[in-house]
Amino acid sequence: MSAIAVVVGVLAAGGTYLILQRGVVRIALGFVLLGHAVNVVLLASGGLQERGVPIVGASSDPADPLPQAFVLTAIVIAFGMTAFLLALAFRAGELFGLDDTEGAIPPDERVDRDLDEAEPDGNVRGGSETQVPGSEEDP
Amino acid sequence: MPVADGRIVPSLLVLSLFVAAACVPFAARRVGRELGYWLAGLFVLAALALVPAGARALDRDPVTSSIDWVPSLGFSVGLRLDALSVLFSALVLVLGAVIFAYTARYLSPSSRHGRLYAQLTFFAASMLGLVVAGDAVVLLVFWELTSVASFLLIGGSGGPEASRAARRALLVTSGGGLALLAAVVLLVVVVGSADLATIVAHADRVRASPAFPAIAILLLLAVATKSALFPFHFWLPGAMVAPTPVSAYLHSATMVKAGIYLLLRTVPLFEGVHAWDVALVLVGLTTAVFGASTAIRQYDLKALLAYSTVSQLGLLAALAGVGTQKAVLATSAHVVAHALYKATLFMVVGIVEREAGSRDIRELSGLRRVMPLAAVATGLAGLSMAGIPPLAGFVSKEEAFAAFIDIPGGGWLPLVAGVMAVGASALTFAYGWRIFEGAFGGPVVQRLYEPDRSFLAPALLTSAAGLVLGLAIGVLDPLARAVTVEAVGARDYHLALWHGLTPALGMSATTIVLGAALVLARHRLEGRLGRRRPRVDGASIFEAAYARAVRAGAWIGRSAATNAPGPYLGAVLAATLGAAMLAGWWWGDDLGLGPRVGGPARDWPVALLLAPAVAVVVAARDRIAAVAALGLVGFALALLYALIGAPDLAITQVLVETLTVALVVLVFRRLPRRFSVVRPARAVVAGAIAAGVGVLAAVGTDALTGRRGPSEVARYYLRAAQPEAGGRNVVNTILVDFRALDTMGEIAVLALAGLGAIGLVTAVRSRRAP
Repeated sequence: MSAIAVVVGVLAAGGTYLILQRGVVRIALGFVLLGHAVNVVLLASGGLQERGVPIVGASSDPADPLPQAFVLTAIVIAFGMTAFLLALAFRAGELFGLDDTEGAIPPDERVDRDLDEAEPDGNVRGGSETQVPGSEEDP
Repeated sequence: MPVADGRIVPSLLVLSLFVAAACVPFAARRVGRELGYWLAGLFVLAALALVPAGARALDRDPVTSSIDWVPSLGFSVGLRLDALSVLFSALVLVLGAVIFAYTARYLSPSSRHGRLYAQLTFFAASMLGLVVAGDAVVLLVFWELTSVASFLLIGGSGGPEASRAARRALLVTSGGGLALLAAVVLLVVVVGSADLATIVAHADRVRASPAFPAIAILLLLAVATKSALFPFHFWLPGAMVAPTPVSAYLHSATMVKAGIYLLLRTVPLFEGVHAWDVALVLVGLTTAVFGASTAIRQYDLKALLAYSTVSQLGLLAALAGVGTQKAVLATSAHVVAHALYKATLFMVVGIVEREAGSRDIRELSGLRRVMPLAAVATGLAGLSMAGIPPLAGFVSKEEAFAAFIDIPGGGWLPLVAGVMAVGASALTFAYGWRIFEGAFGGPVVQRLYEPDRSFLAPALLTSAAGLVLGLAIGVLDPLARAVTVEAVGARDYHLALWHGLTPALGMSATTIVLGAALVLARHRLEGRLGRRRPRVDGASIFEAAYARAVRAGAWIGRSAATNAPGPYLGAVLAATLGAAMLAGWWWGDDLGLGPRVGGPARDWPVALLLAPAVAVVVAARDRIAAVAALGLVGFALALLYALIGAPDLAITQVLVETLTVALVVLVFRRLPRRFSVVRPARAVVAGAIAAGVGVLAAVGTDALTGRRGPSEVARYYLRAAQPEAGGRNVVNTILVDFRALDTMGEIAVLALAGLGAIGLVTAVRSRRAP
């Protein structure tokens, strides 16, 4: 087994373990690791024998440039997703002091209750109107 | 020119009624309930406009028009006005006019009633479209529209019971609509055309096709649901929560007869099919007997009329199913006779309810003394319903008896049909008496006055029409015979008040004698029947099944929609893992992998650096330690990228890693320093899934990569970068030139994620602000 395959396996295993946890921050960390794993697979798919830089005239055995372009895009997009997940964790931390996704109360209701307690003037902001799945019963 | 020869008239009428329905709410604001008279006038005009085309249709010259709709599938918006369409159009328009005139007085003068009028007009337009449709698909569309109109009109009366009744009606009738859709699709496949006339003309091809039994069953389902045949009858009594005009118009005279219309339309398809006769006769007459024997137990006059309608629809369905010359003739006559007397009875019940405040025969009494005209209307309609000569109901019922005992194929069927028809009719006689005696007989208990003449006039009109039509049944004969000619091609039998001393006359006499005996024995029977209440009825079975279906849906929904991503992702990953392992085990040897191409092991140091870092990210309880290890993972990867000839990636990775750490630190200000403890059970399950995913990813990467040389597309980009994009860095030319649109999409994603993150972060901050 090649070292690249081991790298992919370790990253995938670590990432999978973390996204199965409760805390949003750990899920975000897992997401980063999984992103790394996929990036390495993409690069490996181009073949790793030729390892020269893909710059015209710079090397005699240039690497496949297409996976590199894909991965460059993927790194940036994964960063965007990570930033969003961390912002979610940040807000959870602001509201509850914790970033747990599996509390006894569905998150949307917790937001409602929290806002009601915090703001007696009833200034409720967006995001709390979302229907809690499973709460819709036939009249 | 279609305009000149009047071919445009039917389509124009349907269209103008839909337009009228759209305008009604605005008109209602101005004129209130008086709008009913305007609409009645409109319907009379519409009926008159159909007269020339109708006259042509009776001369076996049907008026057709057609616009291509989906030519590739052979669908067109085809309208066709033949004698059968004329019969039902006249019913829709003339009875519609009467009902609208009645509605103008039935409704309270205070409010506007725009919605009721609009929905009634919408229904009439749909129903007219249904009966003039020349194309099976068009017919189906209008069929469904009438179901929708019925749903709106039932549910519009408000209250939870109305909602439930409307839902039952919609689900049952639109379920039948689906059956009709399937039948139409099969017919189009078999015949190769959706044109109704073409389908009917190729009846022998339909009968010979292997799909014929399916078509027959699906059509039967459509008819039974729409026309409230047993065991789908239960939605109709529930529909009686709607206002009386709706019950009189949709749920006795027109919409529920759509099934009968469909049966008459498809008579040629089932010519000589004895099983069809047997099925329709048994289903129809069972419904007739069941409906009549249930009607006779009712105290609520409207419920009684509803079960009476169920019973009469059963009789009509049996007749239309038999489909002989006599049967079609009898169906045509009975459709009209039933519409006249049943509309009268509904209207009178509505009047009684308005005036006396009740429609329960245990509370009503002696109304004949205070409302003599209403009593006359009820009496005439009741006599017609009971089949007493010389009213229209007598003629049509006797024709029905004649048709039943003449069912071709012989055997036991004519005898059974005759007995059941006479039994149902005797019960009809008895409940006809019950209506009259219940409301109008007995001593006067309430000081009431005859309602306004304008309120009574529509009911008097229809009841008188039943008498006149019976005496002058010849008026209806040409139309009924034209319908018969279209359906069975024979025209030697006539509608008549007096056919001589026939077996059917004997059956009519038996009916009257039996009915009279039932009336005389009513007090004894009531004691016995009244106590026997059915333990289950269709509506409660339906509601139980509906509640179960909703609960099952919620159960399925709960398993798929969760607030906890962990178990959700775990299930998905475990399933994927299982599928991948199965696939590897099954097809692993068939992949035909080539030999490994070269490959020095220069990358092992990276792996050795990275593995412990990942372990720390996973296991750390301290957030800062985890983030530091994550940074290390990123830098190890940057090293790997540099090693494999991807300097751009290495640089980007270092930058992103730095930014990520900065972000994480920002988040950590708001969170506890340490991660919460992972429960052992979760650690074991997540660890097992993670190990599986890791092994699968490693094995997959090892097996599926590194087995070929440089790809064609790689060589292309390396070759074309400088001449075509003018850049030496090939990766950069791909990003900003060859695949620039991808990069734009990437930027858009990044911008959206950034906006979302800003929204989340600033929302929290503003909450903390004073």
